[in-house]
Amino acid sequence: MHFAAIDWFIVVVYLISSVAVGLLGKKYIGKVSHYLVAGRELGTYAGIATLAATEIGTITFMYNGELGYKYGFAAFAAALISGLVMIVVGRTGLVIERFRALRLMTVPEYFERKYSRGLRLLAGILVATGGILNMGVFLKIEGEFLTIVSGIDSRYLVAVMTAILLLELVYTVVGGMMAVVITDFIQYVLLSVATILVSIYAVYHAGWGNIVAKISSTMGSSGFDPIQNPKFGITFLIWQVLLWFSIHTCWQTTAMRVFSTKSPEISKRVMTWTGFIYLGRGMLPMLWGAAALTLFGVGAIDNGVPLPVVNGQTLAPIDAMPAMLASMLGPGVKGVVVAGMLAATMSVNSSYLLGWSAVISQDIILPIREQMGKPALSSRSQIFVNRLANLFVGLFLMFWGLYYTPPGAVYLYLNITGTIYLAGTFICVIGGLYWKRANTSGGYLAMLMGAAGAIIPFFFLHWSENITGFCAFGLAALGLVLGSLMGKRAPTSLTGARLEAELKEAE
Amino acid sequence: MNYWLIFWTASLVIAAVSFAVITGIVMVKGYKDLRLMFNRLAEQRTHDHE
Repeated sequence: MHFAAIDWFIVVVYLISSVAVGLLGKKYIGKVSHYLVAGRELGTYAGIATLAATEIGTITFMYNGELGYKYGFAAFAAALISGLVMIVVGRTGLVIERFRALRLMTVPEYFERKYSRGLRLLAGILVATGGILNMGVFLKIEGEFLTIVSGIDSRYLVAVMTAILLLELVYTVVGGMMAVVITDFIQYVLLSVATILVSIYAVYHAGWGNIVAKISSTMGSSGFDPIQNPKFGITFLIWQVLLWFSIHTCWQTTAMRVFSTKSPEISKRVMTWTGFIYLGRGMLPMLWGAAALTLFGVGAIDNGVPLPVVNGQTLAPIDAMPAMLASMLGPGVKGVVVAGMLAATMSVNSSYLLGWSAVISQDIILPIREQMGKPALSSRSQIFVNRLANLFVGLFLMFWGLYYTPPGAVYLYLNITGTIYLAGTFICVIGGLYWKRANTSGGYLAMLMGAAGAIIPFFFLHWSENITGFCAFGLAALGLVLGSLMGKRAPTSLTGARLEAELKEAE
Repeated sequence: MNYWLIFWTASLVIAAVSFAVITGIVMVKGYKDLRLMFNRLAEQRTHDHE
């Protein structure tokens, strides 16, 4: 066991206080908008904390660490793109400004406002499926991290992760976005302290010069030049730009923070400043991965890099970074870092639980009820349905997440499962907000062709992630244009004058 | 390779410094933000009950 008594004490105190604080959120829940978008009262700084905490989890550290280990400094390109694109979205207000002005609660809700209820339902099903499959790998990877760093016997992995998931479920189900925002703030502070601490330790132990030398001797210039690296190249970089534009504007958990801000202007500010955090969110864990390669990369060559060997045992590249933390952090510091990583885990999972369950309840269950001619549900009943959906997602993750192992690099698996719905959603949203001719037929074609463009090439034709990504976005765009030009003109349009009127009214 | 190394080193320094500075600011101002938010929500609840 690598954990000392002081480390256990820090972790247990964090867990108890986090859940207790989260439960305080319940007293502010009156309407469904409080439960899902914090009553749209989020200010700039709390907004930055909750957005950053939502998108920085142990899973983020693990997959970025893996990229740093496998591809060296060349991997930094992915982090740079994610941060810069977020800053551009924040500065220009692309999509997010109009989304916030429309007072939405979920991304698929826009589809009913612009297109039709049927398309909202289809978008809801694709968003929920893609999102939950995406989240499906979180628990196992996070569990691996905790097992390696704390030294808990792997036989207890399922029990430990189930306990953590149940703790997250307790406050998310009860307090919704209110609980998530409060806990996100505490969790953001803790995870940031842990990130900074680990970065200092990693560079100190591995040595900057040694890291550069190891990457240079192992990978040559492709460890530095992302265009020359065979895994990346120019197609990867362009796909990443497209993907990150779609994630920062249409990813349900990110969009919920935009919907929760006090005004469109604040949503832009939150996005811009979080973009700078995104640079560190990617590059710092990649640096930890490169440090782990320097310290432990002495095993047999696998796909061009030596496998990590720790205490005579050969590990997978993704496990090198947590093994490095276990060996270099002392008592007390290890407790703070693990509490920080647990904070990261809980903030991501609780936000994702809320995000996907909101789509299931608001965009699948409620539209189906209305389609069947049943009366609209009261706010209180909607909150109840949301809580049930939350429990359902939690249970699914418990079974799927702990037993499924993703093929290949985790980062790329997450990208592809996200693309299943992001390609169609992003194209429909951009077309709907900025092109007058976009209509429901085009919307259906874009969603279906975007999903098919991600699933068929990747899972059946085994094409690379880059080409699959291009294919999905390209087909979705083609579907929107063809369907819109061939179908009837939209009777109402949320572009132009009508949107401007809605924006003015919202102000 | 040297140009790339200089570029990534500079990017890493900017990323790390931004991360640390923004975290410091958010720690202080975020707490105030949350207090304001809950005060407003509490006021709204009082109005709703009246």
